Amino acid sequence: MSAAGLKKLTFEHLRGSVAPFTLPFEKGKKLTVIYGENATGKSTICDAFEFLGKGKVGSLENRGLGKTNKYWHSVGKKAADVAVTLETLDGTSCRATIVKTEVVAIPAAARPRVEVLRRSHILALIEAKASDRYAAISRFVDVSGVETSEAALRQLIRDLTGNRDVAVARVQENQDSIRQFWESAGNTGGDPLTWADTESKRDPNASNLEVAALAILQTAYSRLSDYPASLKSAQEALNTAKTAALAAQLKAQECVQTIAADAGEVMGVLESARAYLQKHPAPTACPLCESAENVQGLDQRIKERLASFATLQAAQGQMKSAGVNVQRAEQHLATLRENAKKHAADFQKACTGFTWSTDITMPATPVPQDIESMVTWLAGSTYLPVDWKKAETVRQDKKQFLGTLKRALDTCIENVQAQKELDALLPKLSHALKITEEERRLFTDTVLARIATDCGRIYELVHPGEGLDKISLELDPEKRASLEIGASFCGETGTPPQAYFSESHLDTLGLCVFLALAALDGPESTVLVLDDVLASVDEPHVEHLIEMLYAEAIKFRHCIITTHYRPWKHKLRWGWLKNGQCQFIELSKWTSKHGMTLIRSIPDVERLRALLAESSPDAQLVCSKAGVILEAALDFLTLLYECPVPRRPGGLYTLGDLLPAIDKKLRNALQVDVLFKDAAGVSSYQTKNLTPVLDELIRIAQARNVFGCHFNALSFDLLDSDALGFGQKVLELIENLADPDVGWPRNSKSGKYWANSEETRRLHPLQHPT
Amino acid sequence: MDTPSQTLAAKITERLVREGLITADAAKKIQPKLAEGKLRAEDWRLPLELGEKKEAKP
Repeated sequence: MSAAGLKKLTFEHLRGSVAPFTLPFEKGKKLTVIYGENATGKSTICDAFEFLGKGKVGSLENRGLGKTNKYWHSVGKKAADVAVTLETLDGTSCRATIVKTEVVAIPAAARPRVEVLRRSHILALIEAKASDRYAAISRFVDVSGVETSEAALRQLIRDLTGNRDVAVARVQENQDSIRQFWESAGNTGGDPLTWADTESKRDPNASNLEVAALAILQTAYSRLSDYPASLKSAQEALNTAKTAALAAQLKAQECVQTIAADAGEVMGVLESARAYLQKHPAPTACPLCESAENVQGLDQRIKERLASFATLQAAQGQMKSAGVNVQRAEQHLATLRENAKKHAADFQKACTGFTWSTDITMPATPVPQDIESMVTWLAGSTYLPVDWKKAETVRQDKKQFLGTLKRALDTCIENVQAQKELDALLPKLSHALKITEEERRLFTDTVLARIATDCGRIYELVHPGEGLDKISLELDPEKRASLEIGASFCGETGTPPQAYFSESHLDTLGLCVFLALAALDGPESTVLVLDDVLASVDEPHVEHLIEMLYAEAIKFRHCIITTHYRPWKHKLRWGWLKNGQCQFIELSKWTSKHGMTLIRSIPDVERLRALLAESSPDAQLVCSKAGVILEAALDFLTLLYECPVPRRPGGLYTLGDLLPAIDKKLRNALQVDVLFKDAAGVSSYQTKNLTPVLDELIRIAQARNVFGCHFNALSFDLLDSDALGFGQKVLELIENLADPDVGWPRNSKSGKYWANSEETRRLHPLQHPT
Repeated sequence: MDTPSQTLAAKITERLVREGLITADAAKKIQPKLAEGKLRAEDWRLPLELGEKKEAKP
């Protein structure tokens, strides 16, 4: 949506504006040309727009001043005194001031978008390094966000391609392993995978019960097989205990015989007395004979007698202990025999309690009940545990094999599935990457081509037919953020313009690039400011440049062009340019007291119209202005039809020279088709014959000299109506001949007539009738 | 006003949908991330896999 038109720009104390300065804008005109000699304040107006729109003052940059803030305000003022206000036709305004060191615009939402191109920067983009050039246009082609996402997709494809390769290798490995299993199993069951599928469905725990029963059987046999040795050992221990008991008995008997016949009984009495005396340590009489005679020292004497019986006592102890040992050995042997019988029964139960596979060997006869036969039986069945161990190992190996085979098959299936999924996904990812890359390249190429094409189009407007309009902008694929610029020169395309173009052509190119970029970024809301960019353009091209600027300016919210190019002023004054679309403002000399001031420049035709429209027109002023306009019109016609005029130094011609140069043949032939629009907007041409106007002007031309040139007493005798009639005829001639909006008919491209740019005037004939 | 990345992301997702690689809903979800450079590997993979599954339906 287009932003509102500009109403006026007011600023004060910004650089040269020592006093408040107001720049009014004419409603309906989007181009303002500001003419001024040097040091009249043209750049300050540009600074005001840049201050408001961008918060800076670009004209001071790159002058070796460092930070330029301290030079923004007028001499004698402070930074806080600077203010720039832009009012728009919708009634809103935006005011920018300096707060601390920052430019603050209020309201921020109304801050205008401003693009400024200065004379000093016109070549910046052309002569910049490729990277700086890229930076200038990056806002149009910077797709680094998409590039980052694109890189993630590219990396994903690389990773998944690697994963797929791994999956393929693993599938091969798995299939090889299964084939080996299949071959070792005897190549049965069709192909390896079908066989593996069938095998892996078997229950790996099917032999668990038999393995457990085998373990019980082996344990039972093992327990039973221990008995021969245990029984033998127990029998030997019994024999040894019996021998020891007999020896102890003989030794005790020998001791008794050696000491006394009743020594044994005496020793018993003494031990009893000793026990009594320990309980009654001070008896008054002997506890046996009740005599008190020898009671003194009785305890000591008993001790001494008992000591003499110690050998006997030891022998008797050993005999007693040996007897206990014999009893224990006998008991142990009996227990072993019982246990052997019980475990024999357990073994027999283990043998008969399970339905064994045919490959498992069972004892030919049951375990005998008597011990001696059992020992013999065991000695003849030692092969059994070896067979059972083998059978158990076979079953465990089978279980392990099934587990391994199942895992190999599962892994193989998983990897095949992963490979299939990747085979389906990878082409889609690659397709997505291809789309992303194509769209990215297309996008940047399109934007660059659009800029380059627009640049070439604008360039061609200024340098028509020179063949230099093939501008190219290319991102360097080898470098990040690098932009090359190329142009056609002498048939070669893509040549760097800096190497071949003249300074003037480079200036034009710089301006064209700037305009093309500005037009790309919301031109309808952009105020375009061109500060003195016409300086180096030579005369043959300047009119093309001005025409181009007229054409391009209408794309923008507003375009302000400052210039000190004097011919522009005069061409506008005489309506030789499309001044109808243009507001022309002239700055007068700057003074330290009043600062910047402007002069409203009104085209002379408009001035004549205004003079004639006054209630009491000034005849002298009317004749003077009409005479100048008539000279301009005749100058135009005599040049167009190559009419002979006196050759004179300085090339200044008067009406007396020019009017006769339009001879009768030409006067009779001159006619103009004037384009009119009716109330319904329908266009049609009306032919205006110039002959009567020119004939009348020849007749009354003297009025100009009498009234408009000098003090002349003859004027006292003439009527004012003659003077005003002269003015009106001149106005009639010029209105037929030139369009105030699109200028004079100077174009002969039709081959039939002369036309102005929009063919609102068609002047006949094309050539002088002679 | 859209950034170049946002404009481009819209073009890319529109084409991905047009060529049947992702669904329109997925396009809406990934478009901002695509423009901001935040579309990671898994963010690419999922919509393309989902698009694939939807295609497999009769």
